[in-house]
Amino acid sequence: MQYKDYYKIMDLSRDASQDEVKRAYRKLARKYHPDVSKEADAEAKFKELGEAYEVLKDPEKRAAYNQLGANWKSGQDFKPPPNWDEGFEFKGGGFTGGDNSEFSDFFEQLFGRAGFQSAHAGRKTSEHLRGQDSHAKIHIDLEDSYRGATRNISLSTPEMSTQGELLVKHRSLNVKIPKGIKPGQHIKLAGQGNPGLGSGEAGDLFLEIVFNNHPLYRVAEADVYLDLPVTPWEAALGAKIKVPIPDGSVELKIPPNSRQGSKLRLTGRGLPTKVPGNFFVELQIVLPLASTDQAIEVYQNMQQTLGFNPRESMGV
Amino acid sequence: MPMNPHDPSLVHTGTIIEDEPLTLVQLCRACGTHAEWVISLVEEGIIEPDGKEIHLWRFSGVSLVRVRSALNLQRDLGVNLAGIGLALDLMEQLKTLRSRLNVTGHC
Repeated sequence: MQYKDYYKIMDLSRDASQDEVKRAYRKLARKYHPDVSKEADAEAKFKELGEAYEVLKDPEKRAAYNQLGANWKSGQDFKPPPNWDEGFEFKGGGFTGGDNSEFSDFFEQLFGRAGFQSAHAGRKTSEHLRGQDSHAKIHIDLEDSYRGATRNISLSTPEMSTQGELLVKHRSLNVKIPKGIKPGQHIKLAGQGNPGLGSGEAGDLFLEIVFNNHPLYRVAEADVYLDLPVTPWEAALGAKIKVPIPDGSVELKIPPNSRQGSKLRLTGRGLPTKVPGNFFVELQIVLPLASTDQAIEVYQNMQQTLGFNPRESMGV
Repeated sequence: MPMNPHDPSLVHTGTIIEDEPLTLVQLCRACGTHAEWVISLVEEGIIEPDGKEIHLWRFSGVSLVRVRSALNLQRDLGVNLAGIGLALDLMEQLKTLRSRLNVTGHC
């Protein structure tokens, strides 16, 4: 197997930046593109360029390639040293959508023949490929985040039968919901994604956390909000009242002369994240109906005693 | 006896991505895409990893969601990078406004 000098192919120095790699590729691709170029060996050069770019544009592959050392000459007989790729992982991630079916033996020896996306389509089962990562949403209640919980999720996973047919398998999974999780966060379950081919390991499963709507509370980031109905006299005179919170209840002091919509903060009583969120209480003043003689009398007294005009600022 | 990872009674404990953000390789694998495409999303400012150098890049769950949406926009609608950036930002604004409406109780 012959060593390939990808830097030479792209006419780059070994310390070229990723931007320079990209520019060099664009320039050379225009020059050697088989549809455009009039040079006799354009097609071969274009393929070679594609292969070089495949390696040099991918930081992971480039770093591993660099590790082989700079002393190899193009065309020199080459055998990869043992453990040359230790600490790198090419399975899946690094491969671009480019057609790598015609890459050299040199490339294949180093980076494999993967092309991960097409891995499941019509592959021989004698190959060993890591399964794809999969994604799902998991719906939880607000209280689950306050206390931590275990939730069950049903998943449908495509699987290849030994005959190469695509089957959909249903399974359910118990998942631990850690205390303090926020909406939109993801839990990664290693090895619970799609199964690998052959003895390839399974992919990972990513679960996006979605909060169910709650009859009392609303959540924004780590903060939790509650609309709290209060009487006019509680708002006007101040009061100590019992307020529900997701992990129990608290005594809340309403200051005198609180207005409709006033927000009171209970610091650190929101979601129990690393920096706990806050719990906000928004006062909603509720008027009792003037439905009895006594109630009517109270409102009439207020009218005569307070002489209050809420529309003063409107000039009427 | 080793635990069977497919035992239905088993309770699985995962890691929260925000606690252990994804590397470029992990993000590519999670989205079934390639590094160059993700790098171009970063260059376009569509996703913003922590860390200056490519090999130090770390991606949050927000990036994971945005890359997956970007792939769908490109695949389903043929949207280009600039269009993907615009669409994702507008979608994000819409989501924020909706949740704000919800929080102030008007939704």
